[in-house]
Amino acid sequence: MSAAPAVSPPPVAERPPKERTRPIWPALASPGIVWLLLFVVAPLYVVLSIVFGYVDPIFRTPIPVWNPLQWNPAQFTYVLTHIVGPNGVYGPALLRTVIFVGIASILCLIIAFPVSYYVARLSGKWKGLLLVLLIAPFWISYMMRMLAWVNLLQDDGLVNRILRLGGLFTVDVNWLTGQPVVVILGLAYGYVPYMILPLYAGLDRLPQSTLEAARDLGANRFASFWRVTLPMCRPTIVAAVLLTCLPMLGDYFTGDLLSASPTTAIVGNLINNAVQSPGQAGQAGAFVMLVLIVTVLPMFYYVRVVSRGDEVKV
Amino acid sequence: MPVPNDPERGMPGRPFLRSNRRQFLTRAGLLAITAPTLGAFLQACSNAAPPSAGPTLKLAAPDSPVTWDIADDNKPIADGLSPESGATLQVYTYADYLSPDAVKSFEDEYNTSVQISTFNDTTEAITKILGGSVEYDLYFPSYDQIGRLVTGGLIRPLNHTYVPNITNIWPFFADPWYDKEWRYSVPYTVYTTGLGWRTDQVTEDIGARANPYDALWDPQYKGKTAIIDDWHTAMSMVLLRLGITDINTSSDADLQKVSAALTELVAATSPKVTITMYNDLPAGQIGLTQMWSGDAVNAVAYLPDGVSPDILRYWFPADGKGQVDNDLIVSIRSGKNPVLSHLFINHMLDPDVAKQNFSAIGYQPPQNSLNPDTLVADGFIPENLKTAAVRPEYFDVGYRLLELDANNDAAWQNIWNAFKAGGGT
Amino acid sequence: MTTTDVRSGTGTSRTRSAKPRIRGPIAWWNDPWRPPRILVAVTLGYLIWSLLPVLIAVMFSFNDGRSRTHWQGFSFRWYWGDPTRSVWHDASLHTALVQTLKLGVITTLITVPLGVLFAIGIDRWRGRIPAGANLLMLISFVVPEVLLAVSLLFVVTSLTLPITLGTTAQVIGLVTFQVAYPAVLVRARLATIGRQYEEAAMDLGASPLGSLRRVTLPMLMPAIFASTVLVFADVIDDFVLVRYLSSDASTEPVSVKIYNTARAAPTPALNALATLLLLAALLAIAIGFLVFRRMTRGDATTADRGIGAFAGEL
Repeated sequence: MSAAPAVSPPPVAERPPKERTRPIWPALASPGIVWLLLFVVAPLYVVLSIVFGYVDPIFRTPIPVWNPLQWNPAQFTYVLTHIVGPNGVYGPALLRTVIFVGIASILCLIIAFPVSYYVARLSGKWKGLLLVLLIAPFWISYMMRMLAWVNLLQDDGLVNRILRLGGLFTVDVNWLTGQPVVVILGLAYGYVPYMILPLYAGLDRLPQSTLEAARDLGANRFASFWRVTLPMCRPTIVAAVLLTCLPMLGDYFTGDLLSASPTTAIVGNLINNAVQSPGQAGQAGAFVMLVLIVTVLPMFYYVRVVSRGDEVKV
Repeated sequence: MPVPNDPERGMPGRPFLRSNRRQFLTRAGLLAITAPTLGAFLQACSNAAPPSAGPTLKLAAPDSPVTWDIADDNKPIADGLSPESGATLQVYTYADYLSPDAVKSFEDEYNTSVQISTFNDTTEAITKILGGSVEYDLYFPSYDQIGRLVTGGLIRPLNHTYVPNITNIWPFFADPWYDKEWRYSVPYTVYTTGLGWRTDQVTEDIGARANPYDALWDPQYKGKTAIIDDWHTAMSMVLLRLGITDINTSSDADLQKVSAALTELVAATSPKVTITMYNDLPAGQIGLTQMWSGDAVNAVAYLPDGVSPDILRYWFPADGKGQVDNDLIVSIRSGKNPVLSHLFINHMLDPDVAKQNFSAIGYQPPQNSLNPDTLVADGFIPENLKTAAVRPEYFDVGYRLLELDANNDAAWQNIWNAFKAGGGT
Repeated sequence: MTTTDVRSGTGTSRTRSAKPRIRGPIAWWNDPWRPPRILVAVTLGYLIWSLLPVLIAVMFSFNDGRSRTHWQGFSFRWYWGDPTRSVWHDASLHTALVQTLKLGVITTLITVPLGVLFAIGIDRWRGRIPAGANLLMLISFVVPEVLLAVSLLFVVTSLTLPITLGTTAQVIGLVTFQVAYPAVLVRARLATIGRQYEEAAMDLGASPLGSLRRVTLPMLMPAIFASTVLVFADVIDDFVLVRYLSSDASTEPVSVKIYNTARAAPTPALNALATLLLLAALLAIAIGFLVFRRMTRGDATTADRGIGAFAGEL
């Protein structure tokens, strides 16, 4: 009877020799790191000190409290208790933020995806020109683009004149007074270019061979898109949505220009109003902390997703 | 390729969250130790003064006039100094609130240059000034901030020898209740706050209503109204609509009623909240608005070609029992050009300059040479807006926006911010 | 009669005719290789929606009257004609333009070296600190601008630092917000290049710093230049940071001026100002593109040298 073949234990995965980092690399990176620590992290501590500090009783200027052991939670709890419940004055604005930003982001995705897909994969010789036209809005002042829409949406502007179709319909809509639709469309208009660029970059890198293989194996157009293309570009879509949706949370000027009405106030307006009122710096800081938490958590999730897959490098 | 679950094999890009427990405790310990020392360090760097235990705020009112003290370290400038040369005078005011021609004539006369920075409302402005790093020379507030400005040492007392033109203005302003002996301020413009509308969008005569303020709550004007983006002005109008004449009230019940009325307002007509009604009303964007009298007069200049000025109207209670106020010019202490500031103030009180300014900005100066009865005949105000003229008698019976103490101010501001957050809807 | 092979193209056709068949709409729909007409339509529609309002605004900057909605004739009134309110004569508009360009140049000069060195250092440094720094950089990238602006405003107004509100504070804020752009672009490029050239240089005797200077940096030039252009274009358009950190009217750039004036009494001079800024941005892009072409002569790692490659760097 032959001996059972010696079964050697599976080779232990060898740890690669730990790379000694030459000191030059940390030296190069350190100015940037120091800058970020000084001007991103430290100011956040100052914000915390103001949120948990006091307000001067006469001049209503904020007095920061630097020692965490002496922090006074009054202003923070004021904001928290005024979100929901009987005093829930800030709740509607926060809810509106979620709705506006959510709908605007989805709109951006619906518009940007077909356009980037076409330009990235199917446009052939027009690719360069189309790309330039797509990127052009970046270099046109954001204010000017919104101003252009303010012109068009005025009561005697082009939009109403077209809608009236030369007298066929009487249109009596005031687009610029507190219409949520206008603000959502304005946000979408403003931020679509921010979504097109990463989508283009990601879609550009999809391997054509895989897509052709799907078609060759008999999938029709819809199935090959749904089951092959879309899953492959999921990290790209996540990245693009984050890059568009998160900056939108801080937007207040779009609403200010397109509708100077409290009915469309979102969290950016809350922060802006609070910063400019004496005695409310702490409330502004509280909103800043809330938005920061909402912004940073998806980033952690995204980094976790990316570090597990290599499709899109950031 | 599955990655062996080895916590010490760091992958590039993986955040440092995956430290093991010991490292976490060490780091937490370090943080706990450094925080108080960091705190002490930052305390040393901080420039915020400790909470004021000292000065309390004197609040001026017509029946309790105030003479402000002149602190020893804040004396007026000496007599007879010559204006700073090669300087730029920094003026901080509302947009479109100073005639470019008046500025130009000052620049030519004293061979200097003037730069105008603008704010949207005085709350924003005083927040910036209290922040401490501004270099404005002149500021145009209303008297509801003068207590804070003086007590905080933010403004400079005036040297009267530089401002002989003070004799040109209504005598009452040489010794007003908010600043007796005009130690710190001179008046700039006088105005009333009423309602303005266009006859092509509003067919009724708002003034003929029993309570004209109700028109802003009338759903038939939905989407075509506006109120002034100033917490005190707007909320006082709501109080007047409710029949409460103490427009500086600290009564909690009254403020709750205001809050409820504001919620009702948003639901009924969803008004714009702005200070540009002098442009939006003539442009046709809005049809009915709360308006300052000066804006109503100014609006005529912003009408598009081909639209007659007759369509604008303004209402203010005929008996004078509405909001009347005046704006001031004060000299900011941290400004670098005190002599030029005084000369500019004097320049604006000159009758010809004041009249030219009136024509340009629409706000009436309290000049003796301007007779409120003949403003229409003299061509300053069109006939259909003669209700926008400000008469000295209004100051005897009208309601003024006074400075509020800190707690009351906070309560009002909270309601206003809740309104602006759209909290009611 | 033999059937001939269709593919050889010879012989009488007894199998298939050479004419393309007229296909029904369903067959047309199901053909995976049909030209993407719907996508073309969507893309063209998007481009029109995106650029037309801006073109209309540019057109109205040449308006003869004061209106921004009714065309009253062509003139250069708002550029240099009107003696008080045209861009040429209105000193406040000059200051705004000068401040914009000043901020753009200073910020770009600081941001690009900082970001590039940071990216190179982080890329080559193994460990948790660089991973954390990378995360911090990403956070500074996506965080809404208003959070950064408010925290820096609190820092400047609460601490006695040698920094006051004004151009210095604005530059610091802008650099912090923009440093992620060069960092991300350079890292992506480094990933594409790989380490073989640098390692080859070091094998041949160069020091790490030397190989960096002579091998890696020249290869990174396209990315560096692309990020310079991008940062410049983004800074001259920035609004939130510069508004919060401005001191008086001399430190307000064009975007803030447009916002302030648009909410007061705008004239077509505003459109003229925005058009001029657009021209400046286009000029910067054109110069950048020409320099890019020069730089990538003979570069093996850029596939094509057209506009697509330049925009692809972005």
